[in-house]
Amino acid sequence: MANFNARITMPAEAKAGDIVEIRVLVRHPMDRGGQVDAEGRIVPRKILNRLTVAYAGDQVFRFDMHTGVAANPFVSFTTRAVATGDLVFEWREDGGAVFTRTARLVVT
Amino acid sequence: MSSPISPACAHRDAGPSRRDLLAAGSAGLALAALPYPAFPATQTPLAELIARVTDGAVPTRGGIEFEIPRLVENGNSVDVAIRIESPMTAQDHVRWIHLIAEKNPFPDMARFQLSPHSGRAQVSATFRLATSQKVVVIAALSRGGYLMSDADIVVTLSACIEGG
Repeated sequence: MANFNARITMPAEAKAGDIVEIRVLVRHPMDRGGQVDAEGRIVPRKILNRLTVAYAGDQVFRFDMHTGVAANPFVSFTTRAVATGDLVFEWREDGGAVFTRTARLVVT
Repeated sequence: MSSPISPACAHRDAGPSRRDLLAAGSAGLALAALPYPAFPATQTPLAELIARVTDGAVPTRGGIEFEIPRLVENGNSVDVAIRIESPMTAQDHVRWIHLIAEKNPFPDMARFQLSPHSGRAQVSATFRLATSQKVVVIAALSRGGYLMSDADIVVTLSACIEGG
């Protein structure tokens, strides 16, 4: 996927100790494999199989995805605001491709 | 393409079409009884699917707020929200939350890995359901033991189940 499109929604700032909710929406077909396309070819499985989120030196969340996750997968989770810094989102796709995005959280 | 109305789902000579299925359904036949080729010949029983993720332990029922529509119009996108009451401290937190759909071609749908950094055990996501079935949530607790909750879901338009 040349243009990996991820929308990360979260507050730009938070008080230390607050719990912030993070919502992530990615554009991805999540091809579960074995289906037949318009030309009669079998589409191989190609899904995002993992999303990890690191913040302030820790892994704060991981989402292991299988073929039961919908196309254009959405996920939301929470984390505790501890220090100003980037949340690093990393997706792993079948075949080994890795996509990374960051979002900054300012902690007051 | 994985859209339910794409030709990918048509696959005419492989089994009864959706129209056949609907007709059969309205004639009062149980859909599950039809020889639909997409289902594995032997389905793993739910108890075994659960035992697989809990290493054989029997989870305790309750303690999970499991939000999922009981009637799903489109199995390709089913919103699920899960919340578990937990202090989420280093000693006492939810380690992970696992979702099983017993009649999906691949029943293990996803796992959310949480930690004390999560602050709350609260997640949501969108899933695919191949057919009407029971969906089970299993949560692993740091102090040992597992919680579970389930829901019977009716799916009117299934996610394309061929090939899975």
